[in-house]
Order: sequence, then C-alpha cells, then structure tokens
Amino acid sequence: MDATQDIDGSRTRSKRSQTVSLVLIAGAGAAALGLGSLDPSQREEDVLVYADAAACAAEAIRPAEECRSEYAVARAAYPTAAPRYASLPDCEGHHGPLHCRPGGEVTEQARDRYLPRMAGYMIGRRAAQGLAPQPVFDHAPSPGHAAAAAGHGGYCTGGGARIFTGSGGRASAARVQTASLRGTSFGGFGQTGRSFSSASHGSAHGASGGG
Amino acid sequence: MRRVATGERPDWRATAQSHGFVFHTLDGAPYWDESHAYAFSLAEIEDGIEGPSGDLHALCLAFAAHAAEDERILARLAIPETAWDAIRTSWRRGDPSLYGRLDLAYGGTGPAKLLEYNADTPTALYETGVFQWLWLEESLRGGRLPPGADQYNAVHERLIERFRAVAGPGLLAFTAYAEAPEDRGTVAYLEDCAVQAGCRTAFADLPDLGLRPDGSLCTRAGEPIETLFKLYPWEWAFRDAFGEAIGQTPTRFLEPPWKAVLSNKGLLPCLWALEPGHPNLLPAYFEDDPRAAELGDSYARKPLFSREGANVSLVRDGAMLVAGDGPYGAEGFVRQGLADLPTFDGRRALVGSWIVGDAPAGLCMREAAGLVTGNDALFVPHFIEPG
Repeated sequence: MDATQDIDGSRTRSKRSQTVSLVLIAGAGAAALGLGSLDPSQREEDVLVYADAAACAAEAIRPAEECRSEYAVARAAYPTAAPRYASLPDCEGHHGPLHCRPGGEVTEQARDRYLPRMAGYMIGRRAAQGLAPQPVFDHAPSPGHAAAAAGHGGYCTGGGARIFTGSGGRASAARVQTASLRGTSFGGFGQTGRSFSSASHGSAHGASGGG
Repeated sequence: MRRVATGERPDWRATAQSHGFVFHTLDGAPYWDESHAYAFSLAEIEDGIEGPSGDLHALCLAFAAHAAEDERILARLAIPETAWDAIRTSWRRGDPSLYGRLDLAYGGTGPAKLLEYNADTPTALYETGVFQWLWLEESLRGGRLPPGADQYNAVHERLIERFRAVAGPGLLAFTAYAEAPEDRGTVAYLEDCAVQAGCRTAFADLPDLGLRPDGSLCTRAGEPIETLFKLYPWEWAFRDAFGEAIGQTPTRFLEPPWKAVLSNKGLLPCLWALEPGHPNLLPAYFEDDPRAAELGDSYARKPLFSREGANVSLVRDGAMLVAGDGPYGAEGFVRQGLADLPTFDGRRALVGSWIVGDAPAGLCMREAAGLVTGNDALFVPHFIEPG
C-alpha cells in the first residue's frame, strides 16, 4: 500500500483521497466521474434464483451436484436468515397472503413469531462471485412497480435485498445491487451456546463452583 | 455471621409476581428462599467482604493489563487467536465494564478466599438488587428483622449511575436467549436500569442480531447498535459466525471483550503467580504445570470455561468427593487449593460479592446442600445486624 512515514514518524494513510463524492453538481452522476468502480454501493451482480435443486439442475447452468449442495446450504440457513414478525398480518403484509407460517414450525427459537415460507434460493451466477447461497422469500407486489401488474412482487432476502427475475418472474436470472446482496446478515450469534444447551438450557447463568 | 430463622412474608409469591420476579421457582424447584437469612456484623461486611473485593478487583485489572498485551497469556487461557485483537483493542481504548460477581468462600472467620470471578455474564443480579432489598424493607416493617437492620446492597443505584456514566447517545441494545427465563429476566432488569439512566434501549433475541456491511451490529429493523449488552459469554461469541467481526466493529460491548481474560478459570493460577500468598487467594496452577503437585492430593479441579459449577471436581486426600460432569473441559483445567465453604445448619453458603463499575456494591448469598454450588442452589437474603 502507499502508507508512508511522516517526518515526525507518525503513520499516514494513502496520499490520495479514498473517496470523492459530489452531490450538488447537477448532471454529474457518480458514474460520470468514474466513481462507479470505487463505490461498491453502485455495483450490481448476476444471480440465479431457483425453487429447489431440481429446478437448478434442469437449467444446467450449474452441475447437478453443486445445485444439491448449494440448496442444502440455503435450506440450513433458512431458520436464522428468515425475517421474524410478531403477527401473521405483519408477515403477510411484507410477503403476501399464504406466504407465511408460524415460526414454531421452523425453529423453537421463533415460536410465537411468524416467518415467510422459503420460496427458493439464490446463488451467484458464477462460483467466482463467492456469494453464499441464501434462501429467498416471496415479496408482496408493490403498487406502481412494473412487475406488480403481473401480480409478481419478486423475491427478497433475509437482509432485505429485492430480486426481480426476468420474464415477470418466470426466468431464473436477475441483476441485483451488490450492496443489498452483501448487506446485513442475521443469525450470527447464539450457535455456540446452543451446543451446550443439554447441560445448561443455553443459559449463561453464572453461579459458581465452590471449593 | 449467622444463619437466622426469620420466617417468610406470607405474601412474598404475589409480591414476586407483581415485581416481575417470575423465576423465583425454576423447573419446579424453589430458588428464592426467605424462611431464614444470613446475618452479618458491619465489620464482617466492610473488612471481610467489601474491602477484599475491591482489592481483588484491582488485582484483576492489573492482570488484565498484562494479559491483553501478552499473547502467551491469551494462549494459556485458551482464548482463540481470532479474539486477541478485540481484547487488546478494547483494553487499550479503556472500554468500560458494567458489573461482575466475585464468588468467595467466607464464613466470618479468617479471610475470604476467591473461588472464581464471574466477570462476564453473572446472573442473580435482579434478585440481589431489587427483590432482596424489598425483602429487607418489608421484613423491617413486618417486625421479622430487628429495627436498625441494614443490608449491603447498593447494586441498583450503582447500576443506574454506571449506565449514566458509560452509555452514549445511540442505541443501547440488550441481548440474551429470549427463551431462558432467568437470562431474559436479568437483561430486562438491566434494561430497566438503563432507561432510568436516560438511555435509549431495545431488546434483541440473540438470533435477531444483524451484522451490517459497515461492521456494526444492528437490530432486526436494521438500526445500528452503539452499545450491546450481551448476557452471552465471550468464549461462545468468539466462536460464533459473527465472532471474527468483533475485532473491527464500531459497536461497543458490555461487558467489553477484555473481560474474557477474567471470566476464565485460568485467571486463578495467573493471580496466584502475580501475588503468591495473597490472603484472599487460594494457591492455584494450570493442571499441566508441574507445580500443581504442590497442592498434594486435595484440590478443586475446574475447567477453564464452565458455568453453573459444571465439570468441577473436588478431591480430598486423594479421594474424589465430587466428580463433576457436564459439557465443559475441552480447553483444559486448573487446580485450586480446597477452601471449605462454611456450613450453617448443614447447608453450604457461598458469598457472591458484586462489583459495579470498578467498586464493590453489594452481596448475595447462595446456599447448596452439596459441596459444589450449582444452578440448583437457593438464593437466601442477608442483613447487617444493628450495631
């Protein structure tokens, strides 16, 4: 990197700006200044959405073996990746009628909540994208959106990314903003404690052993 | 120090219910027991417990300063390398701690001996700070305690003061396993204290915590968390999927990552090495240290990480008194000299001495029929006899 030592010995970072943003100059979009390549929020990437491993294998973009293993990864992530709602109307408001279920059917930790059903899963078009397979959920059609006319609201991920696949939802391919795909992830805390739950019910109770 | 029959308040169960103390009975077995109480003299409290607790905590901070900067110590404590940066950074930055509980063997005769430091995720806090306090007030009014009786228990107001001193303007979120009543109750209490301190708060079930692209933790709704109180041990959090994000996140934690070096039984041999012969310490060694032989054939054997007394074994004169079982011990063990818990009416009493911020703040008594104080131990209130 271009880190250098100042005369007084203190460390400085790169000599040029890390980012330059202009928001007030009319007509000068970020891409026009060549910043698209610097700003990850502007990037998009190609993804594929399938209902299950068989649909993936049938299209033959991915080898059938990878379809199965990637589907399994998404399936395993479903209980923690799915958003949780306090009520069925809240859930159906986001995901549409009949697209939600009681959380207790999915995981004991989501009992008393409602989760969207897993509509399918999403993978990067190429393995080199390094995008973890993740479950997707139906999204209720948004009024005014082109796809809504066909009654199709597209999909969404647990992190909130919207995905519209081609041909009004019938095709598998979609382009999605990288920032939303690689956005917030959930369910990353709590697993280790569960593995001790047989002895302590997962409790962090701190009573001590006396000598 | 005495164990005194005081008799129960006839309506204490209803009082507990109306004060949110829903876990006074756990899995059908009693947890809170006020049929009797422990009575202390003021000198026993101040010279026997409060003073030594302040000294022990200060010694622990001195050790944390060494440990945070010494990778050999961190490795000896079986803390994964991926966590070292988080520990070091939080220590150097001076991230404040909220609270902890020193567990002491103390019976009013001879100096208190440190058994361990629950420096990261102690519970029994609400019952100490609120319900035990209420018991004293009502028992004084009901004539079950002598007029002028007091209690060593500033826990509640010290917690509020501490939140006021350390919380920032952003969201202070609280997390635990929502389905564990005792844990949920403890964080609900702490959240209550924080609200009284003027903090903006929220509760998030552990699986509902999110990690944003900028590295901050957030709620399900996506709101960034400035400070996260977690009733979830660091040794588990470090091993979770988000564990490697802890070193870089702008989110601050209560307790801070550096507390991981104290809530580890490896603390015990390290303190003994720093201050051999300290009156409030028991000799202790890592099990694979040849000097462990100096303990002879009487010692307590404790895993580096364990909770609720699990996997703790007691050996006296070569005979196994208690063979602890449980899921812990994979990271190794320490051996500690035996300190008999004082026995009152056939019960073993354990002193839990609370530290809030960096100062001693109160105590709780736990009472067990067996030699190891586990999660089935009773919580018994205490008072200070009028002088």
